[in-house]
Order: sequence, then structure tokens, then C-alpha cells
Amino acid sequence: MDKGNPKELWEYILTQVELSISPANFNTWFRNSFIVKIGEDGVLYVGVPSQFFKDWYLKKFHTLLLKIVREISYEFRNIEYLIVKDEHRKAPKENKNTRGALELPLDEFYINKSDNLNPRYTFDTFVIGSFNNLAYSAAQAVLARPGITYNPLFIYGDTGRGKTHLIQAIGNHFKKQYPGRKVFYLTSEKFVVDYTDSVQAGTANRFKDKYRHYDLLIMDDVQFLSKKERSEEELFHLFNALHDTNKQIIFSSDRSPVAIPDIAERLKGRLASGMTVDISEPDSESRMAIVQKKAASHGVMLSDEVIEYIATSMSGSIRELEGMVNNIICHTQVKGSAPDIAEVRQSLRSFTRPQKNISVKNVVDKVADFYGIDEESIYEKTRRREVVRPRQVIMYILREDFSISYPTIGSKLGGRDHTTVIHSCEKIKREIAVDNDLAKEIQNIRTLLV
Amino acid sequence: MHISVNKKTFSEAVHIVSRFAERRTTTLPALSSVLIIAGDDGIKMRATNLETGIDLKLEGKHSSDGVVAIPATLLQQIASSLNQEGEITLEHSGDIVSLNSGTGKSSIKTVSYDDFPSIPFPENPKNRIVLPGVLLKNLFTSIASCASVSTVRPELSSIYLSIEGGVLTAVATDSFRLAEKKVPLSNKGTQGKFLIPAKNALDIAQALPDDDIIMSFDEHQCAFVSTNGMLVSRLTNAVYPDYRQIIPKESIVEAVVLRKDLENALKRTTIFSDTFQKIRVSFDVKKNTLSFFARNADIGESTETLPARITGSSLELSFNHRYLSAVLALTNAESLSLTAAGIGRPLIIRGVGDTSLLYLVSPMNQ
Repeated sequence: MDKGNPKELWEYILTQVELSISPANFNTWFRNSFIVKIGEDGVLYVGVPSQFFKDWYLKKFHTLLLKIVREISYEFRNIEYLIVKDEHRKAPKENKNTRGALELPLDEFYINKSDNLNPRYTFDTFVIGSFNNLAYSAAQAVLARPGITYNPLFIYGDTGRGKTHLIQAIGNHFKKQYPGRKVFYLTSEKFVVDYTDSVQAGTANRFKDKYRHYDLLIMDDVQFLSKKERSEEELFHLFNALHDTNKQIIFSSDRSPVAIPDIAERLKGRLASGMTVDISEPDSESRMAIVQKKAASHGVMLSDEVIEYIATSMSGSIRELEGMVNNIICHTQVKGSAPDIAEVRQSLRSFTRPQKNISVKNVVDKVADFYGIDEESIYEKTRRREVVRPRQVIMYILREDFSISYPTIGSKLGGRDHTTVIHSCEKIKREIAVDNDLAKEIQNIRTLLV
Repeated sequence: MHISVNKKTFSEAVHIVSRFAERRTTTLPALSSVLIIAGDDGIKMRATNLETGIDLKLEGKHSSDGVVAIPATLLQQIASSLNQEGEITLEHSGDIVSLNSGTGKSSIKTVSYDDFPSIPFPENPKNRIVLPGVLLKNLFTSIASCASVSTVRPELSSIYLSIEGGVLTAVATDSFRLAEKKVPLSNKGTQGKFLIPAKNALDIAQALPDDDIIMSFDEHQCAFVSTNGMLVSRLTNAVYPDYRQIIPKESIVEAVVLRKDLENALKRTTIFSDTFQKIRVSFDVKKNTLSFFARNADIGESTETLPARITGSSLELSFNHRYLSAVLALTNAESLSLTAAGIGRPLIIRGVGDTSLLYLVSPMNQ
């Protein structure tokens, strides 16, 4: 107890008083009292609700209270009773929301109406790694001389690789760099809907003009144009109109222009006529950087261990990676602290795939099948290399994904010692970090096990 | 202790005193009891709930001194069952009180009176005024209903009393309407102001005698002393808002109506008021009428038009009807004057010829 702290001091006094008087007395007389201040001259000022209390304290409890405070310290000379103002008697409001920041982050979903761009996507939040370096350089070149260097710029890559982020960042940057010029971002699906609407309303001419006055047109996910001949034709004309006037056009797609099926050849050629860049799968360093950047933007610092774990165990898509980071951020805001590796592992597992009980035999089956070996050999005491590696992989997966104890894994896999299992798991874990092929293998096995 | 009291005196005293005992049973048993004291000052009854307290003298004979505390509800039940003839005697031995009412005899277990608190008296006797008890009684009962029932703002759930220049002013408001009543005093020397919780004021008003009493007060406590006892109350320790600022100084229309007309019109229009208890008041200068209109989507609508003397320009305002009818309890004047200062500004109601009352109602949104 800190005897300089009125609140703690009073709480201590109350515990002592409670022992000496009846509960009814205690509840009646002490419930609404508190120490107002501790005077420098050793006088304790006790606040009471009314004259009734003051008189009764002086008459009945003064000696008792004095005895208690003297036992605490001889510094206390006397106790005086004050009748406090009514407002002060109210119980102090609990400060529940001290961390703040629990409000729904609706600001993030703000979209600029005039150009459709989401201001959240900027180059500041864009992580550049070897996988997207080329695309990033092309974007910078486009921004340096829009409409001239690479027109159109065609960016493709699998879903969740950051295509939308990159092209929107170009738009946002373009807006900042050339304040007078007009930018418009749309998805090809929106383009098709717009076109059909305008045809139905009989305003197709206005539709043509609508898109032609932009200095930078960004169209996302052009692969959805396939089989929509009229829209394709309209885009073809729009493309020509913009291209001829040196207006920059940027496309994105999940595959290269030539690989988009059912799209008019003349459009295909035009899409590929500028610069075509692909964004490949992010390497693990880039993924770590992404996780770190994403978490930091929400003011959450994660330990290296956690970052590494998330980056290595999530598959391809950056979107899923972001989802996981969001999950952790939410966890942090609710609990007030960043989760440790064990908690992350737990939530990541539930995040990536539904938790299900899987028999050891099933895992062994699948892995043996994957490596093309006889599953019986896993249980045998053989040290042939083609068996050892799969066996270690099995142990690693059983441990990491299904949290089976080391001794259990050992006994299930032909009565091996738990130290063997620990060694195997450590070994695989070490090797995953350096050996990309192994990491990919395990990733593939995991998908088989779902 | 051995006392003998007239049954009528006894039951009246019990009814007055037991009101001041604590009604919740969870607290100290002594607080929900009535203390009966026989001593040099005669026979007394005491009760307190730590907000208010009473010390009442009883006419009666006592042959030996003593103190007992009896649960108030029990005493109340006994008192109301007594027939009004003859004497009742209380005799106390050990922790049992024998109560003899002539025809019957009961033994009551007493409560330990050690825990019974002392009833505090204001420390500074300088702040005191003498006034008829009946006057204060009427003041408190009429005005207390205008105070706020919520305890969120302790000052608004209190009655503000100020004594200045021989006038006692009582004010109560719940921030939707405000009532101010003035009472002249015989002695003009005293000055002061205090806030008494409206709930306590009502309790005290019930127990005040009609004849002259001495009202004294200090910062935290006030007391009402009469020949047959003393009443005390805790005071609200807060600052009262400067209510004079909200009273409109100018007016654009004034209507004078008969109290009887207003009462009837309100009574009928109220039936048609909606869930917001809203009624519209129209001042019509051309026709010299004041009309009340209410519409309830479920029931229908109604208009009451009453003759009035209107001066100024026509105006329509909406009010909560409860706040309008409340004024009728505050004054006895035969005709009332309603003064409006414009849309969105409060309406002032006064009794014609009655300068003691000022009633302010804030309008509802149109």
C-alpha cells in the first residue's frame, strides 16, 4: 500500500474498519466516504456526504479511524471530516476505452467518387521485392512520361499479388503529380455494365464520350471481357481514341494478353502492344516485408518470429496474408498486446483451413503417395534416403499443423524416440527457410491434406 | 421507561415520525426504527434516514426515564390499528417493550439504539427566520413537483430557496419548465440562500405544523424548529444555475384568460395529445382568442378556442400539456396571463394580480 495515495490508503483503512464494526454499520456509514486529501501537516481529510455523517464520524468512529491511521504511520496527526459537494460523491466513471482505436476503421473504405480510386493504395504502402520489381519500374516509367514510354501498360499476375494496389497507386500518384489531369479507374466488369446500360437507355453516344476525356484510364481485370463482343469492340474504339491522343492506358489481368480466351484478336494485339509485365509469386523476404509493413501501418509491432511464421506458412496470395495480419491486429486491439508465436500459430491454423482431426495414417498415406513410396516403409526402421525425408516431413507436418506431441508422433511412426522427432522437425524447419523446393513440396502436401 | 400517551396523539406522532425512518431494510436496523425517549424534556420520538431527521415532542405522562428503538413499520401498523379512545402505555424492560392499549397487551422486541445517529443541528444560528409553517408547507408541496426527478444533476432535483430583503424566493426547475414563488417575510434582516433536495422538502412539508416555525440553516444543514419539535434536512451542496438569465425580458404577445376556461380547455385537448404529449397553442389577435389544438394519429384531433384578451401579434407555439397544466396547482388567481417572446422562446405564465408566481415553460419543436 502506498500511504501517499488517498485511494489506496482509504481502501486499506476500510478493510480494517470492516473488521471492527458490523456489516450494516459499515455499509451505512462508510460506503460513500473517501479521503479528499492528505494534508502536508499530517491531517487526513475525509469527505462525507452530510452533516449526519460528520457528527456520527466524530462521535463514533473518530478514535477507531485515528487508531488505524496511526498504526499505518505516525505521520498522521489527526483526521478531519469535510462535507463534500454533491457532484463529487458520484462514483468516478470507469475509463474503459483507454486504448481508444477500437472504433470501426470506416475511413479505410473511403473511395474518391470522381476517379474511383481508393486513396489507401499508394506507393508508400507498396512493398517492392524481386517479384514485382519490374512491374514497379514500369509503373515509374509510365508516371515519368505518361502516354509515351509504355502505352498501354499491361500488368498481369495471379490473384492477390498486388496488381490492383500497383495500378491504383499509379493513379493516385498521377493525380498528385499532374493536378490538372483527369484519372479514372474502373473494372472491366463495370465497363461492361455501363455499356449495356447505355445501350438500353439509348445513350451509347454519350458513353463513348464519357471515357474519352480522361488522361489516364486504368482498367482492372480485363480478362472478364472475354466473350463480351460488343463491349470488347467498344473498348477497342476507346483504346484507339485514347492511344492516338497519347493518353495513358493501364490494364491488369490475371493472365497475359495472349492467354486471355475468347477475346477479339485485334484487341488482344493492342493490349500487348505496349509493355507487358508480370508479377510473380512474392519470395519469402518480400512476404515478411509485406507483413511487417501492413502491421506497422496499424501501429502494431510484431516479433520477427511471428512475422517469419506468417510469411512462410501462408500460401501465394498477398490478400490472404493481409487477412491474417488484420486478424492479428484485431486480436491486438481487443487484447491489448501483440500475440506471441503460439497464439499466431493457433489462429493461423483456423484461418487457413478448417481445423479437422486427421489420422496419422491419413497423413502418412498422403505423404507417401506424394513422394511415390510405399507407406509401409515409413514405419520401418530403414534409413534409406528416399524414406527418411518423407518421414521427417510427416513428423514436421504432424507437429506444426496438427499439434501432436513429440512422443505420440514417435510412437505412431514405428516406435521412434521423441528426440528423433524433435530433431526431424527442427531439421525440416531449418531447411524450409533455405530450400524453396522443399517449402513448395510441403505447401503442396498441405493442400492435399485439406 | 414507563410512559402513558393519549392514543390519538400517539398514532398521529407515529405517522409523522415513521415517514422519516429509512424505508430500505438493507441498512442499519436503527435507521428504520423510531426512537422513543422519555427524559427531562418529556417524551420524544425520533427518526432519521440520514437525509432528513425529525425530533418530535409528545404530550403525555412519564413515570420513569428510558430509551427504546422500535421498527418504524411495526409501530405504524400498531398505530393505525388503535381505536382513538383512551391512553396507551409503553413499558420497557430488557429488550422488550410492553405496549398496553387498554383492551390488549403486546410485547415488542426492540432494536439496539446504540447505533441510532444523533440528529445534527445547523452550526450557525445567525441564519434564521421565523415564518408560519403553513406557508412553507404550501410552498414546498406546490413547487417540489417542478424539480427534476433525476438525480443526475443534484441542483435540479432540489428547491432553491433564497432570502433577501424580507422576501423568501423558492425556485424549482427540471430544465423544461421553471417555477418561482415569492413569499414575504416578517423579519427583513436575514439574508442567505440554500438548496434543499425536493424529496426531503416534501417529507418535511408533511410534518410541518401550521403555526410559526423557526427556519435556520448553514452550509450543509437546515432545520425547522417549532414548539413541538425539530425537523432537519441535508442541503444540496451545489451551485444553482442563474435562472434569471433565461427569463425573456421582452414579449411579442400576451394573452389573459380565465383560469376556469384554461383548465377546461386543457383537460379536453389533452385527451387528443400524442405520445409526446404535445399540444399547440395559438394566439389569435384578430379574433381575440387563444386556441389549443392536439392531434393523435390513433384517436383524432381536437381544437378548443377560448376567449382571451390578446395584445401583440399572432403566434403559434407547441408545448407538453403536462407542463402547462402544472401551473394550475401553483396559483389560485382567477385569471392567468400567458406571455410569449417568440418561436423557440419560453412562455411566461403569471397569475393576474398574483405577483408571487412566475412560471416558465419551454416550447417543443414545432
